[in-house]
Amino acid sequence: MTLPPLSSVPPPARAIPAAVSAKPLYDRVGKRRPLQSPWAPFMFLTPYFLVTAVFFLYPLIYATVLAFFQTNGAKSRVYVGLNNFLFVLHDTDFRRAMWNTTVFAICSICIQLPLSLGLAMLLNARDDKLKSFFRLAIFCPNLVGQAFVGIMFQMFFTARYGLFNRALQALTYWGLEKNWLADPNLVMPAIVIASLWLYVGFNMIYFLAALQSVDQSLLEAARIDGAGPFQTFLNVTIPAIAPVTTFVVVTSTIYSFQLFELPYVLLNVNGNQGYGPKGSGQTVVGYLYHSAFENGDLGTAAAVGWILAFIIIIISLIQIRVSGTMRSDS
Amino acid sequence: MEFPYGKAPLAILLLAVLMCIMLGSIGVTEEVQVKPDLVYATFSKEHAEIYRNALPAFEKANNCHIQIQLVDQRALQNRLESAMEAGADVPDMVEILDGTLGVFTKGPIEDVGFTDLTEKVHQTGLYDKIVQSRFIKWSSRGHIFALPHDVHPGTLCYRADLVKQMGIDVDKLTTWDEFAKVGREVVKNSTDKNGIIKHYMIDLPADGSDSLKLLLLQNGGRLIDENGQAAFDSDAALETVLWYVHATQGKDRFSFPCGWGQTLAKAMTDGLCLFYVCPDWRTAQFQADEPNLSGKLKLMKLPAWQPGGIRTSTWGGTGLTFPKTCRNFDLAWKLAMYFYYVPEQLGPRFEKMNILPPLKDAWTQPEFSYPRPFFSGQPIGKLFIELAPQVPSETVSPYITDARDKFSESYSDCTLYYQDHGDDGLREYAKADLKRCADQVRVIINRNVFLSGPQGVAKAVQEEESNKK
Repeated sequence: MTLPPLSSVPPPARAIPAAVSAKPLYDRVGKRRPLQSPWAPFMFLTPYFLVTAVFFLYPLIYATVLAFFQTNGAKSRVYVGLNNFLFVLHDTDFRRAMWNTTVFAICSICIQLPLSLGLAMLLNARDDKLKSFFRLAIFCPNLVGQAFVGIMFQMFFTARYGLFNRALQALTYWGLEKNWLADPNLVMPAIVIASLWLYVGFNMIYFLAALQSVDQSLLEAARIDGAGPFQTFLNVTIPAIAPVTTFVVVTSTIYSFQLFELPYVLLNVNGNQGYGPKGSGQTVVGYLYHSAFENGDLGTAAAVGWILAFIIIIISLIQIRVSGTMRSDS
Repeated sequence: MEFPYGKAPLAILLLAVLMCIMLGSIGVTEEVQVKPDLVYATFSKEHAEIYRNALPAFEKANNCHIQIQLVDQRALQNRLESAMEAGADVPDMVEILDGTLGVFTKGPIEDVGFTDLTEKVHQTGLYDKIVQSRFIKWSSRGHIFALPHDVHPGTLCYRADLVKQMGIDVDKLTTWDEFAKVGREVVKNSTDKNGIIKHYMIDLPADGSDSLKLLLLQNGGRLIDENGQAAFDSDAALETVLWYVHATQGKDRFSFPCGWGQTLAKAMTDGLCLFYVCPDWRTAQFQADEPNLSGKLKLMKLPAWQPGGIRTSTWGGTGLTFPKTCRNFDLAWKLAMYFYYVPEQLGPRFEKMNILPPLKDAWTQPEFSYPRPFFSGQPIGKLFIELAPQVPSETVSPYITDARDKFSESYSDCTLYYQDHGDDGLREYAKADLKRCADQVRVIINRNVFLSGPQGVAKAVQEEESNKK
């Protein structure tokens, strides 16, 4: 059987949008494909748009409205203008939550990311069979989730009987009876330690992928030109992995500002609410949760949500701008 | 025939159709099931088990079908709150935990989602038959919204074997000051050459929390007063915080935070602490978690704050509420009376759960006088009954958790101050800090426009500004 020449295929009856025309409406013998219509892509996209409208757009608009009301649950509300925002910005607990979150974000970037990069470089340095094992072992904690890690570290940090306290005592003759989760000065270090265990492996994977894609000829050229390992790292590796570093820094900052489950579960001891002594483990999202679901004040929670969104957007924009400038400089 | 969009979309479509069929069939199965006349929700596994055992007789006598639902406490509260707000289906009867009623009574009294039981409780004469301090826990602005399940008198549980071995006479531990004095001796005598302490006097959480509140209530203090305002900047609160700071901090401390669960079990078995704050419900936990300590534990009254003062306090509680949407209130009330206030049932239940019911008529049941082998043959029921009339009352408020947290925060501030400065100026600092924390709670309370009117918000901002100054 011979196929008719393509020029003999009848043209489509009407104009087809560019996105649809990727696959012709007619097959090679000129027969119209069944169920094919110019509206098909829109039909496929409809569920997405519906879900977005119901679960994203509507809540977004509703949260904006809600931020100007004081609520008693969802039913009763009184218009209070900007007072929710004023109250939150004046509230010492919110400032403390903001401070805790910022400290955690800084620790995440300054401790977690160098550690992740260091581990990635170690794994990238040699190509042996143990590489996959260590990659999996370091990444594994990320598979178990924040609630599990919170409960586990709650036990590790138990005074006298906790693994962490016992190890400290054995190594330094100090810390057996330290109450990590009840001492306002030790709560944040405890959260940072738990989060390091959880997230270092996750970021390591990004860095490892970036390191593996660094152009080997550049590294070799640097070596031939007499550059030492540190100079090669600084002048070749770092610029080459800069886009991934930017991505990791931005996402880590965003995650840090959204921190909630880990401290909430970790500090949920002695019947406490999970914010630590003196609120030393309360984060901005923790404050939001407390306002909305423990105090039933959805209006204040909506105001907190908007403030948090604003802060994250500003920080992310600054980070992207700064790293963009750094990249173009390099 | 080939699917025009490829295999992957076909698979997704088939999966979606299959899921729809499955969901539909679940819905149909639920429809087929017999709808219960009443749904009773509880967060306590022990309560659910007892109710399920007692249920067949009630169902037979009343020709009805009751469904008992067991839901995690936090999930129960959140779901109930959300369902009430959204107007969705809620159970006909719900057991709620101490401190949570306030969340539901935040708005105007007519907006509370539970049936007001005040009239019914008085009409039926129940008010006089129950330990009245327990009704206060379940009331808001003079309206009773729940029936009390328990009394929860506070005691001290101690390792009788070790206490005897160390020559401590518990009868002489009548005040907290005497208790502290003996405690310091215990710690001093059981410190080894490396500075490791083998025995502490008492288990107290290092962050205050419930134990600090229990001691405050015993000392005559309150977190929230009867007008709904923060009240923990009182003299009683000051004395309680100062005592607690000295018990938990510094070189003279005599307490250790044993925690919960496995670490507590290990600490008790090791005899790390000799005394444990113990409301009635905790005795059953000790029995279940530490069977190896059978015959080694005993209970005693709490030491008083002043000679001759109150020797008990309270911690926790359960209340039975009837949402306004309850489908058959008369039947629900009947069931509540059957579960909560039938003396003949409460005796055997006490033997199993060690929880003292608030119905005074039930206390004459023989089970309350039985000696308990686990507690060295002590008839613990008699001790609870003796303490029950003294159990302090506690006002309910939507802001009780905020107040408790701020009270604990003030205690934490004092511990930090004590670590840096010792006793020098501690009293003045603690007084000022308690006031600061109480003022913060007052600002939050006064912000509630549903209770204080639209001017509440402006007033709150103004107060916050003046507090800062």
